[in-house]
Amino acid sequence: MASRAFWLLLIMMGPLVGHGFIIAVNLYAEASGMGGGSAALAQGLTPLDGILVPTFGAYDLAATLLFPFVAIRAIASEKQSGGLKLALQFPGSLPSKVLAKGLVLLGGWLIALVPGLLALALWKIYGGHLYRPETGNLLLGHLLRVMLSGAIGVAAAAIAESAASAAIVTLGFTVGTWAIDFIAAGRGGLLAQLANYTPTAALRFFEQGMLRLSTVIVMLAVIIAGLALAVVWLDTGRSLRARLLATGALIVLIAGAMVAVGGMRAGWDLSENRRNSFSVADELALSQIKDDLRMTVYLAPEDPRLTDLDQNIVKKLRRILPHLEVDYAANSQTGLFEGADEHYGEIWYQLKDQKVMERSTIEPVVLEQLYGLAHIVAPARAETEDFPGYPLATRPKWAAGIFYALWPLLTILTWWLVRR
Amino acid sequence: MGGFAKKSSAIRSKEVTTPEIGVEIGVLVQSSTGTTSDYATLMPVNDLLTIKSITKSFSKRRVLEDVNFSVRGGEVLGLIGPNGSGKTTLLECIAGLLPADAGTVNFNERVLPRARRKEALFYLPDAILPWAEQSVKWALDFFARLYQCSASDATALTEPLRLGALMPARISSLSKGERKRVLLALGLLTAQPLLLLDEPFDGLDLRQTRDVMTLLRSHAAKGRTLMLSIHQLVDAGRVCDRLVLLSGGRVAGAGSLDELRAQADLAEGGVEEVFLALT
Repeated sequence: MASRAFWLLLIMMGPLVGHGFIIAVNLYAEASGMGGGSAALAQGLTPLDGILVPTFGAYDLAATLLFPFVAIRAIASEKQSGGLKLALQFPGSLPSKVLAKGLVLLGGWLIALVPGLLALALWKIYGGHLYRPETGNLLLGHLLRVMLSGAIGVAAAAIAESAASAAIVTLGFTVGTWAIDFIAAGRGGLLAQLANYTPTAALRFFEQGMLRLSTVIVMLAVIIAGLALAVVWLDTGRSLRARLLATGALIVLIAGAMVAVGGMRAGWDLSENRRNSFSVADELALSQIKDDLRMTVYLAPEDPRLTDLDQNIVKKLRRILPHLEVDYAANSQTGLFEGADEHYGEIWYQLKDQKVMERSTIEPVVLEQLYGLAHIVAPARAETEDFPGYPLATRPKWAAGIFYALWPLLTILTWWLVRR
Repeated sequence: MGGFAKKSSAIRSKEVTTPEIGVEIGVLVQSSTGTTSDYATLMPVNDLLTIKSITKSFSKRRVLEDVNFSVRGGEVLGLIGPNGSGKTTLLECIAGLLPADAGTVNFNERVLPRARRKEALFYLPDAILPWAEQSVKWALDFFARLYQCSASDATALTEPLRLGALMPARISSLSKGERKRVLLALGLLTAQPLLLLDEPFDGLDLRQTRDVMTLLRSHAAKGRTLMLSIHQLVDAGRVCDRLVLLSGGRVAGAGSLDELRAQADLAEGGVEEVFLALT
């Protein structure tokens, strides 16, 4: 509670969350027909995309750019002030002390979560709809995301000589994961597998209503590894050689964990509109396919059709088919100069020695091809499965006052009272 | 931890002997001045801590070279030497906060592994500013709770260290001398049988230095063993029972002032003369 960085983070969370929430509610209202415009299709109006993700986007920003510095300060200040030399001699093991630091940081983050919860409460007061599983899943994603940021910050502060060096290491890590995200887009292979576990990509699964076991396991493993690294490097009595060996062992363990869970398909689609799943009937039918399905995609990473294919087909198929292999065969990044290539735009599906080509990325069209390829009778589509949508034409009443004025003032007042 | 913690609370209640320390009582010890000390009391003479062949280098610079000496139970041992002689490095190696390249630390004649050093000893570094944003009272309460001190233990330190007026002040707002007094109080609140203090008089004025010396001697008289790193030789001579002279990372001499005089072939003279003669 003595950390200025924490209080600054707390003050800033109000306006950051408020800004996202107010814009989201206004846009949602416009899409719902407010202001004389025509309403969008009701099925397209989901609070997860329209309200929750943009509102909690502030927490992603904070977890990336603000919270690591709070975590760094928690360790670096003790190293710099000499408090660490005392703390190392206190009763209790070093892992328990680092864990206690982690729990204190987590407690601080839960306090910072209050503006987000206030936004959810306001949304309910306006008459908005919240689907508990997907809301809880999103909160879990943000919790893991911030714990990951905190663990990286704590590890960096433990390894680096000063807080400034730790900040550079942490930002370097963040930028590095962004680079992996960008480079791996639409490429497949090991890099794409690795990119699934960058903080941004991992959070994206939760934002889409997916709870993937492998993502949770890898995030938890990285969090534990970050704290373990901090334990190794804060133990100043250990020789440099011993610390380097322990660091190497941890890196090998994490890499091993990522490879081990790489093939893990377990996951739950917690979105209300089942955006990550085919219909129940289609899933049942597709689960009859036991052979390896190989897809060869001639679409460049920046081709929007590839995004559609990944969203509408590939990620859903991965959850059903244990042996799906996707080969991204385009030769360029944009596809602009591949028009003359006779294969560009084609998507090939191969099951055993049978192959079929389809250019469409629309779900029913692709499924029809797959059923034909596997000689499975296409199931009838149930009407009741359609997502109703939750339009709401309302203005964000009281939100500006609460997030821009009341929250910062209350936080400053509490800070002042605590410091007295 | 439990064993040593219990032991130190026993020390507080002046029950000097415990089976784990394994020392004997009943030996009258003379002070370093050669006369019976004002603080003379029943003290054990067994070696509580033995430092064997500690060597430490930073890159290619050898800072400690085959350092050997021992600390007797209940004594005040002074580690003296000029700046850069390796006193702080040695204390940190003993405390297990720095890895030594070679050597062992024995406690009661048994090797004390690095991971267990904190059970036997507590090292109070010099020139640190922990918990700068917290008040003095917070820090003292924190240590008192951590080491399960009684209210009287904490109160007993307030007056000799003149901490009463400082209690509500933030640690960051304290002067160098005030900070040193607060740190000494924290060190004295710890429970380990052996307390290592790095430059305990640095930043203190004459009167405060005298008061702190009296306080440290009173703690030693109760059976706690103190090892002080001091660069002011006169101060060391006034407060310590025995001295270890460190020069260029090597032990140049060890013993009481009389013993050191004998080593230096001096008929008389203070710590300064002895130090100059031996280094």
